[in-house]
Amino acid sequence: MCRTGRQTDPADPHPDTRSDTDPATDTDACTDADAGTDADADADADSGKASNAAFAALLEDSAEDLYESAPCGYLSMLMDGTVAKINTTLLDWLGLDREAVVGRMRFTDLLTVGGKLYHETHFAPLLRMQGRIGGIALEMKQADGARIPVLVSSVVKYGGGGEPLLIRTTVFDARDRRAYEEELLRGRKAAEEARRQAEADRARLQEALAVLQQSLLPATLPPVPGMETAAHYCTASPDRLGGDFYDVFPVDGKRFAFFLGDVCGKGPQAAAVTSLTRYTLRAAALHDSEPVAALSTLNKVLHERYSAGGDPRYCTAVFGVLEPDPATGQVTVRIASGGHPPALVLRADGTADFLPTPGGLLVGVLPDARFVAATTVLAPGDTLLLYTDGLTEARTGEDRDTLYGDEALRAFAAKHAGRRPQAVVQALTGLLDEFGDGLDDDTALLALGVPALDDDTAAYPTPDPDPATKSTR
Amino acid sequence: MSPLKITTRDTATGPVLAILGDLDYAHAGELRELLTTLTLRPGQRLVLDLAGMDFCDSSGITALIAAHHHAQAAHADIALAAVPANTLRILRIVGLDQIFPLHPDTESAARSTRPSR
Repeated sequence: MCRTGRQTDPADPHPDTRSDTDPATDTDACTDADAGTDADADADADSGKASNAAFAALLEDSAEDLYESAPCGYLSMLMDGTVAKINTTLLDWLGLDREAVVGRMRFTDLLTVGGKLYHETHFAPLLRMQGRIGGIALEMKQADGARIPVLVSSVVKYGGGGEPLLIRTTVFDARDRRAYEEELLRGRKAAEEARRQAEADRARLQEALAVLQQSLLPATLPPVPGMETAAHYCTASPDRLGGDFYDVFPVDGKRFAFFLGDVCGKGPQAAAVTSLTRYTLRAAALHDSEPVAALSTLNKVLHERYSAGGDPRYCTAVFGVLEPDPATGQVTVRIASGGHPPALVLRADGTADFLPTPGGLLVGVLPDARFVAATTVLAPGDTLLLYTDGLTEARTGEDRDTLYGDEALRAFAAKHAGRRPQAVVQALTGLLDEFGDGLDDDTALLALGVPALDDDTAAYPTPDPDPATKSTR
Repeated sequence: MSPLKITTRDTATGPVLAILGDLDYAHAGELRELLTTLTLRPGQRLVLDLAGMDFCDSSGITALIAAHHHAQAAHADIALAAVPANTLRILRIVGLDQIFPLHPDTESAARSTRPSR
C-alpha cells in the first residue's frame, strides 16, 4: 500500500476528520510514478493503468471501513482504560452498542472476572513497563454472559514529550484455537486414560499368570516320613510359562507318590497341558498308584484330549511311589517312565547309577502306549534324583556345541552321592548357573533321599523340609 | 541356524520327503503344513529322509509324530531314513524308536516290507 504514510490513524481518539480515502487520487499518484520510469511504453502503461486502478479500487476501500469491518477487534483506550474507540467487529462479538461502550466502559469491563484479574496482575503492569504486549490470551464476556477466548495485543502511543497518550489494542477471536486446544487436551486425556487402562490390564494379567503358574508347581513339598525332599525349578526365560513339572503327595496312610516331567512346547498351550498332566496324575494315583497304571491313565487323557485336533501334545514323565519301611528305615521306590530320561540313584557309598526304564514311550502319542517300571530300595544315605533334559541337553564347551550329557551328569552326581537331597540339589543348581546361556530349556530337579543313620541333623521322621526352591535365570 | 528345506519325490512305494536344515520350533510347522497337502494311499510308505537334517528339537519330534499320525490315518506306513546320531539318541530316550522303523538310507527304507516293530 503506497498510502500507508498518509493513512489516518484509525485508533486515534481524535481522528482527523478529513476524508483521505479517495482511491482515484491514490491511483493517480502511483501511475504517475510508473509513467515516469517507463515513458516509452505508453501502450503497456495504459493497460497497466487500467488494471491498477481496478485493483486499487478493490483493495482500497476506505480506511474507516477497514477499521470497522476488519477481521479482528480494534480498541483504543485512554491510559485509565476508558474505551475511546472500538470497531464494529469487536462490538458485534461482544453484542454491545457503541454508545454503551465508548466513554462509559473501561477495557476491563469487557473482560470476564478471570480475564480482569489477569489483566490487572500481568497485562497492565507489563504494558506500562514495556510499552507493548502481544498475544496475551484473555477472556472477554459477551452481553449475554457467554465468554469469548481472545488473543490481545496492545501498544502505548506516546506524545512528542514521551508521555503516554493512549493504548491501541487489537483483539483476535481465539474460539477456533481454543476449540483446537481443547480437542488436543481431550485427546491427551483419552490417551492417558487408555494407557492407565492398559497398565491396569497388564497388572491384572500378570496377577492371573502368577496364580496359574503357581498351580503348575507345588509351593512347598509335603514332609515325607523317613525321607528328605528337595526340588528346584529353573526357567530358561522368565516370561515363558514353564513346561516342566513335578509334585510329591500322599496317596494313603503310608505311601507317597511323586512325579516329574516335561511337556513339549512352551507358552500358554504347554502350560495348559502341564496343568492337565499334573492333576490327572494326582487323581490317577489316588485311584491306582501303580506307576504304569497312572502313566497309562495320563496317556489316555492326553491322547483323547489332543490327538483329534491335529495338534498332538505330549509329555515325558517319571511317576513313582515311595513306600517307607519304618522298621528298617529303608524306602522302596517303584517307578515308571514314559519317554523320560532315566532317574539317577545316588548311593551312600559314593556311587551313582541310572535306574533304567528303557522303552517307555512319550505320554500321549499313541492310544495304547507301553510304559516300563523299575524298582529300587533306598537305604539310609541314598537319594533318588529326577531331572528334566534341560540339564543333560545343556550346551557346554567354549563354542556351546557340546551337550552336557548323561555320563557327565552321572559323574557329577557320584561326587555328591551320600549327601542330603538339599545339598545335591544345591550342587546341581550351581551347575545350572555355570551353564549360563548354554541352558536352553527349563530344568526341573527333584531329589528324594533317606537321611543317613549317622546324620543326626536329619532325625526320623524328618521335620518339615525346606520349601521347593525356584529360580529364574 | 539353517533354514528348513523339504523336497518331495514320489517312488514306487510312496513319497520320500528329504528334510534339510533345522527341524525346530521355528520351522517344524512347515513340515506339518506340507503333510496336510500330502496324499498317501493305503499301503504306501511315507519315508522321511533325515540325512540332511542338522537339528531337531521337541517341536521337530512333534512334527515327526504328526507325520506318523498322518500316515496312520491314511492306512499307510512311515519310516525314517538316515537318522542323525543326536536325534536317534533322543528318539531312543522318548521311546519313539519303537514306533518309527529306522533305516540307514532311503533305499532300504523304501525296499523293506512291513516294518518290524
